[in-house]
Amino acid sequence: MDQLLKLAKQQSDGVEVLSIEQNENSIKFEDRKLKDIQSTLQSGITLRLIKQGKIGFAYTKNLRNSNELIQHAMDSLKGGVAAEFNFPHTDNVPTLNSYDPGIEGIDNAKIVGECNRIYGFMQDKIEGQLNIGGGTAVTGIQIKNSSGTNLSSMSSNYYISVTILYPGSGTGIHRSLEFKNFKEVDDSFLNNLAELYKKGEKEFRTTGGRMKVLFMPEAMYTLVWRLQSATSGESLYNKQSPLADAIGKKIFDEKITIVNDPLNDERPDARAFDDEGVGCRKLLLIDKGVLRNYYYDLRYAAKMNAAPSGHGFKAARWSSDRISIKPTPALNHLSLASGNTEFWKLVGAMDRGIIVCGALGAHSGNIPNGDFSIGVSPGFYVENGEVVGRIKDAMVAGNIYAVMSRVIGIENAIHAAYTGYYPAVLFDEVNVATKN
Amino acid sequence: MFDELKSMLTKIEADYADIRHETKKVTKIVFNGKELTEIGNNTTDGYVLRVLNHGGYASISFTDIDRHEDAIRTVLQNAHLMSKAVQQSVVFKKTPVIKDSHTPVLHEDPRDVTIEEKLQLTRKYNDIIMSTDKIATTNISYGELIRDKHFLSTDGTEIREELVTTRISGLITSRDGKLIQNVRVAAGGSNGLANLRNREADFEKRAGIAVDLLSAQPIEGGCHNVIVNQSLGGVFTHEAFGHFSEADIIENNRSMREKMKIGAKLGNDIVSITDDPTITDQLGHYHYDDEGVKAQRTPLLEHGVLVGHLHSRRTAASFEEPLNGHCVAEDYRYAPIIRMGTIFMEPGKNSFEELLSMLGDGYYLLDAKGGQTSGENFTFGAQYGFIVRNGKIGGMVRDINISGNLYSTLGNISAIANDLKYSQVGGCGKGQANIRSCYGTPHLLIEDLIIGGR
Repeated sequence: MDQLLKLAKQQSDGVEVLSIEQNENSIKFEDRKLKDIQSTLQSGITLRLIKQGKIGFAYTKNLRNSNELIQHAMDSLKGGVAAEFNFPHTDNVPTLNSYDPGIEGIDNAKIVGECNRIYGFMQDKIEGQLNIGGGTAVTGIQIKNSSGTNLSSMSSNYYISVTILYPGSGTGIHRSLEFKNFKEVDDSFLNNLAELYKKGEKEFRTTGGRMKVLFMPEAMYTLVWRLQSATSGESLYNKQSPLADAIGKKIFDEKITIVNDPLNDERPDARAFDDEGVGCRKLLLIDKGVLRNYYYDLRYAAKMNAAPSGHGFKAARWSSDRISIKPTPALNHLSLASGNTEFWKLVGAMDRGIIVCGALGAHSGNIPNGDFSIGVSPGFYVENGEVVGRIKDAMVAGNIYAVMSRVIGIENAIHAAYTGYYPAVLFDEVNVATKN
Repeated sequence: MFDELKSMLTKIEADYADIRHETKKVTKIVFNGKELTEIGNNTTDGYVLRVLNHGGYASISFTDIDRHEDAIRTVLQNAHLMSKAVQQSVVFKKTPVIKDSHTPVLHEDPRDVTIEEKLQLTRKYNDIIMSTDKIATTNISYGELIRDKHFLSTDGTEIREELVTTRISGLITSRDGKLIQNVRVAAGGSNGLANLRNREADFEKRAGIAVDLLSAQPIEGGCHNVIVNQSLGGVFTHEAFGHFSEADIIENNRSMREKMKIGAKLGNDIVSITDDPTITDQLGHYHYDDEGVKAQRTPLLEHGVLVGHLHSRRTAASFEEPLNGHCVAEDYRYAPIIRMGTIFMEPGKNSFEELLSMLGDGYYLLDAKGGQTSGENFTFGAQYGFIVRNGKIGGMVRDINISGNLYSTLGNISAIANDLKYSQVGGCGKGQANIRSCYGTPHLLIEDLIIGGR
């Protein structure tokens, strides 16, 4: 990296080199059968350089020839992409406890053993098919730039995910856990999952209309995704945000508080600096329903005349390779604050409604506008505070700025779920369409 | 390259092993609104090693050749672990040993066109959109991906295949006050750059649709009869049916495997679906999959009856069905999984106008906006649509997501038009992206589809 930085510096006004090394193992069981063991040993380097107000970008997975990589970055300068910022000098970032060296001693046999233990624990509790996935990842990131920034971090991640499928269907109840090192899954976690699963064993059809809808943590990303879009410096600059000029305004119910905290190293993947070498900080996005902050990377902070907030990440959605993409504003450490109601009391508060246990099609609505329209997969129908059964053929739709302003209650616990940590949240008067 | 791969394979003591090396050349040009935000060429490469030993199977991807011995040790350990843990040994179906090399037939090789000319072309289309009133911004990109794959197996197969994919595509966003709408635009294929030229009218039309959406009415949620166009019908065929014809999806799912048994009656007699990676000039075209198996036309549904599955060597053995060459990886980061190539519904006899007349009252829904399945349930978006009254197309509607059950929807396809059309860009995300995933149908008349509304 040092040689590359030195060589690139000779040909430009500013240079940034970022390297990522990632070793991963993943294990997949389906219906008690060990289906796959996959490993990856991936590394790569990206180079950004600034010259005469323009920025160039190049990457490689194998740095065999520094001059070739520099030439690719120089070639991309010719396109004339404006830089508008300089690489920052960052030091004195907090030391985070993001890496547990114990992860190195976790071999795949141990994870296979844990999956078999879970099968043993669950076998008398449920009739549905049980699928389990588990794995480890160790990621090292280092960033150096011509302003003197020299930062590195290591993180470790162990995950386990459990899905119980309903017979006669490919849909089921799913929940995941993430830690920095191996940890046996608690009995209570598995018991809760089995209890939830059993509530939906019977299929049920009902009519649609406006009713209470309880989003489980696993479905909350549907709503949060639209907020992420609206508060990004990129969306603001591109005039794609309905929340321009909304700082200080109440946009959701006062029960909603959302923060992005990369420094929280009790969770895996904590970060002290972003992928551009800007120090990370806790960001209060929504405070009791009031919009408090937008978030930026270097580029969009410069464009919007704002301070970079340490949110420039190579945020790979779908299966993009992080090495190959440029940093953009991203919220990778989100959580929605827990409320004060036990989960089953939230269910008890529903006279008539739907529990959305999983969302289908969260990515296909009008995200910038805040609209969503999802299939429930699965969803439970609730009447008089009791789950009647698993609803067949239903969709839940709305706009987050209307729906998230009608919060009845929030669960008193948060859970790791896709894109963050969320509680279950009960909303009032949400549109439900069904086949009946 | 084959010599390097051979030297690695000789270090592996196993019943079977294969190794794939890929060099991936990417050219990318991105406009956000009027601004050019990215441009460049980059080359990366890596290896994927798979081992089958004593009934245990494992794979590893690695990028640094200096770590190949680590990779070999790890994959052998994992295969050993699996061999001890599985009740039923993993078996690969036998496939003929092949020694072959393929480069695609291209109508204008993108490597013969300078990046400056590609920038000019992309800018021209972007400017057409940005000059339209009420367009707020765009995200329009030129993407070129050239994969040079070398595959070698201990069975003796040696295949080199090059795949070239080009596209100009993206999102057009319109805005009126606080109302924001968007549509997608796409031109592309796997047969060269020529397909991207002379597309001005297409980009202008899509910009017009984005603007028209600002005055469209939100669609009414509920259960409706609809006509879906080729893009939306293609996504249904891919998402709802196609994924369940992939044997690795249903292999260990007791109920889905029972429902997807060969001979099961799944749809109306008029519905026939085939996957065919051998159709030249279509996006999903390839000669060999990433297990070294020759790609084959594979009928899946004939007159509503299931007649085939898409297979890997592993699932073909476990299902005791023929191989058809559908095990494909996104790139050197992944072991291959079962994917569709070009999946399509066979055309029917009716014209589009006849379908409108048969519909009477309902909606005409157009162009896919992403889709997802879970088990037999699917949900996907439509970019826009129109109210249909008495067989006549009326006002535009927006905010359209449709949902349903695979089996009931296959049974509810009541008419199929004669205007089959294939997609030009793909993006299936079954764990790995497949940008060459191609699909198509004619216009379809479907009864009782759930629409989410807003």
